[in-house]
Amino acid sequence: MAHSRKYLDPVFLSKLGNMDLVARCAVEGFFAGLHPSPFHGFSVEYSDHREYHAGDELKFVDWKVFGRSDKLYIKQFQQETNTTAYILLDSSKSMSFASDGKVSKMDYGSYLAAALSYLMLSQSDSTALILFAEKVTKHIPPRSKRTHLNIILTALQYNRPAGQTNLAGVLHTIAETTKRRGIVILISDLLDDEADIFQGLAHLKFLKHDVIVFHTMDHQELNLDYEGLIQFEDLETKVKMRAFPQSLREGYRQRVAEFLDDIEKTTGNSGIDYCLLDTSEPLDRALVAYLSKRKRMM
Amino acid sequence: MSFTEWIFLLGGLAVVGPLIAHLLAKPRYRRLPFTMLRFLHSGQIESHSRRKLRDLLILLLRCAIIVLIAMLFARPLLHIRLKPSESRSVYYLGLDNSTSMAYSERSGSYFDKLKDSAVDYIRSAENNALFNIYAFASENWMQGLSKEQALAEVKGLETEPGNANVGDFLSGLNRISQAEHKNDEVSVLVLSDFTPNTFRQFVNVAEPAAVDKIDYEPIVSSQPVSNAAIADAHVVGVVEGKLTINAAVVNYGQVEQNRRLMARTEASQSDPIDVSLSGNQRKNYLLKIDIGAIGRQPSILPVELNLSDGDGLSADDTFYLAVFIPGHEDVNILITGDSEHRLFLLKTALDTLSRTNSYDTLRIKQVLVDDLSPSDLDWANVVVSSTITDHLGNMASEIESFIKAGGRFVCFVTEAIAPEAAKQLLQRDVLAALPGRCIRERTYIQSKPYNSKISGVDHIAERSLSNYRIDKILIKGCFECQQHPDARLIWEFQDGPGFIYLKHLDSGTSILVNTSVDDSLGSLTKSSASVALCRYLLGENHQIDEYCFTCDERISLPISDWSRADTGQKEFWVETCDGRNRRASVAESFLLVPEPAGIGWVKTIGKPTLYAGVNLPQGETDMTKPSASELAGIMDRVFKTGSERIVSEAEVLHDKKRRPLWKMFAWMIILLLLAEPSVANRLKR
Repeated sequence: MAHSRKYLDPVFLSKLGNMDLVARCAVEGFFAGLHPSPFHGFSVEYSDHREYHAGDELKFVDWKVFGRSDKLYIKQFQQETNTTAYILLDSSKSMSFASDGKVSKMDYGSYLAAALSYLMLSQSDSTALILFAEKVTKHIPPRSKRTHLNIILTALQYNRPAGQTNLAGVLHTIAETTKRRGIVILISDLLDDEADIFQGLAHLKFLKHDVIVFHTMDHQELNLDYEGLIQFEDLETKVKMRAFPQSLREGYRQRVAEFLDDIEKTTGNSGIDYCLLDTSEPLDRALVAYLSKRKRMM
Repeated sequence: MSFTEWIFLLGGLAVVGPLIAHLLAKPRYRRLPFTMLRFLHSGQIESHSRRKLRDLLILLLRCAIIVLIAMLFARPLLHIRLKPSESRSVYYLGLDNSTSMAYSERSGSYFDKLKDSAVDYIRSAENNALFNIYAFASENWMQGLSKEQALAEVKGLETEPGNANVGDFLSGLNRISQAEHKNDEVSVLVLSDFTPNTFRQFVNVAEPAAVDKIDYEPIVSSQPVSNAAIADAHVVGVVEGKLTINAAVVNYGQVEQNRRLMARTEASQSDPIDVSLSGNQRKNYLLKIDIGAIGRQPSILPVELNLSDGDGLSADDTFYLAVFIPGHEDVNILITGDSEHRLFLLKTALDTLSRTNSYDTLRIKQVLVDDLSPSDLDWANVVVSSTITDHLGNMASEIESFIKAGGRFVCFVTEAIAPEAAKQLLQRDVLAALPGRCIRERTYIQSKPYNSKISGVDHIAERSLSNYRIDKILIKGCFECQQHPDARLIWEFQDGPGFIYLKHLDSGTSILVNTSVDDSLGSLTKSSASVALCRYLLGENHQIDEYCFTCDERISLPISDWSRADTGQKEFWVETCDGRNRRASVAESFLLVPEPAGIGWVKTIGKPTLYAGVNLPQGETDMTKPSASELAGIMDRVFKTGSERIVSEAEVLHDKKRRPLWKMFAWMIILLLLAEPSVANRLKR
């Protein structure tokens, strides 16, 4: 791993503890791998000149033109950062799953949310954070101030997984309550009824939101690499099930693959960006996915 | 299917163990919180049922292994019924023609009854039946007989002296039936009087015979048995020309016996003695018979003991006893040595020996070795020298002549030996070994001679020396001896060197005793074994002896010096009890007669005349009737029929009718043991 990529490793990030540091490390580590200055060219771009009117801010007066022509002209810039991002982080109990005691899906999602928030606020995008399980448990409204980051990070830091997933209901709720269209970033394991989830996502899409789904999955959830007789206990429903995983592995993988294919196809058809994230992998895939989405939006 | 050792089937109860373990066992598993249970569910149902199936299969496998092991130990046999057309009837007849079967009463003899029963049995058989007949006393099989041949053989059968041989009958029955009649219906008939001797043989049968049918009939009288017999006789001794014999007379029946007993030789007979015996009583009687004065030549006297007629069996009323009467001989022993005190103990031992000898007269004379003259040698039969001096070397030729003339030269050695004289004596073939370097080490003599079959020494004294613990006498040293090529080492020290060397020279004998350096001769002559040692060295003792054998023994008669010296024969013609002439060979010092062929006398034809008395084995004519229940029990054990019969290993391997299943069971156990872990692992997936 390159030196900068170390800061994208979820295990490394989990050791940092401070969410602000986590976000900074993740984003700066990510951009350090891309190009030296990530903050140029995005927020303001020269577009045209117009005549000065009373009430315009003086800082936008082009003094060089005034010196040449004795007329006050205002520099006009193309506004790029007036997007609102809604980060929806699933905080249900199933997100607490972490195989082999490593990084849980919840932690991974939190790091991702923190990194995205940092990135967005750095670009002056309004960023909102919505934590939910059966219903919305925390709603931080969108703001573009840099200080807003602290509020988001604090919420992430003290967020604890609890309750069952009701993703569809939450999506409908958010769709109904958000007035301004923007980017909806859903970070979840999507362990709910697939049809309901798609309806919720379709609802958001219908309201002209750009939707990115970060599907966080644990490595063991994807592969079921356990051995021996195991009694599985569902984290949300507490249902118990005893089985030899080695005898189930093949069928399990097949069913999970079908499930993921289904989600990918459905989201693809709906114009929703879908990104499957393995919690054992670094965060950069998620950040790339977001930035490419953001670029398309411009 | 049946089981030979059904008791091992109880071992199958051990299946309770795995059953309980199965019922009590809880599966060991790991708890794991998980999220995607809905993707596990359909597979889980399959896995759960598989697990149950696996547990059940493994339980069944383990139970099967235990049950199969128990069945294996129980030695299962598969009974295969053969088609009637494939088998035929084979009859084995065991007929007792031993001496006791000659017992007769008013209604006829036992043997006549036996033949009648056998004939009836044969006649009742199918026409195509096959017969194998074994006569217990004759010890011969008549095999593969048709019905007519079997009848003829039975009618021609006679009693023979001797015991019934049951063991050969059973082993032959097993052998023949397995080799030739594996698929046939085997029936056995045993006809005998089941005297105690015969009955004991049935009791001692180790390996039972497997047959399809067994019949037996004790041929016994319904009346009390009247039979007395001379069971045994021994010589007590000869006193004043009269030979005294102790005879044991037994009433083997239940009827009181009043008979007369007497002994007879060719020349004379004893006074008859009245014998009175109640039922099953045994008494000993002393018979005295005049044999006249004992001459110089030994001889064997045949003595016949007779019991007057009066019972149902005459064959056991005569007893044949051959008595060896040693000849009278004067033996002159010359003791010589370098000092008198050295010879004192040796002379004392010889004096003692002379007093105990019944037949030979020992005369002892003592001279110093330097005073030894040829005339002394002329007088002596035996010369005993305590050492080898130059004077003895000078007289080597005279001593050689003395030995060649039949004399016996016994030489001890001490440190004072003259080497040159010893060499001279060796060159003259007088010494059996040449003493060399002196070994000053304490040693002991072996308890038994190195060569015990050699002639020229007294073998009774040899046993006495062992009894006197000659091996405990400490010898303070000895000499390294170079053995003469013609000499033989007959006794050794415990650490290797020779103790006594013996050499024959013509008809005489030379003996070298490798005694010691210091006072080992004294140690020997002071010990309790001294007299026996003297007897051993002086050669065979002449004692009264008896040659009495039973008809099932091989006869071996000792050929002593007196008989062989006359003839030098290696082979004799003998007349056996049946009056036929047979060759008998001489091995070592014994005449071996191949078989006595009955009871009576076995005697050599020509000179020397040797006799051996051949009699019935003791108890052969004991007519005690067997108990019916005991007999039934023994016959059930000896002949196994049906599914209960015990089949020996050898029989199992060859008997197609009762196929052994143990190999199949063993393979099944091995396969199950191999399959168990793979089944368990396979179903875990």
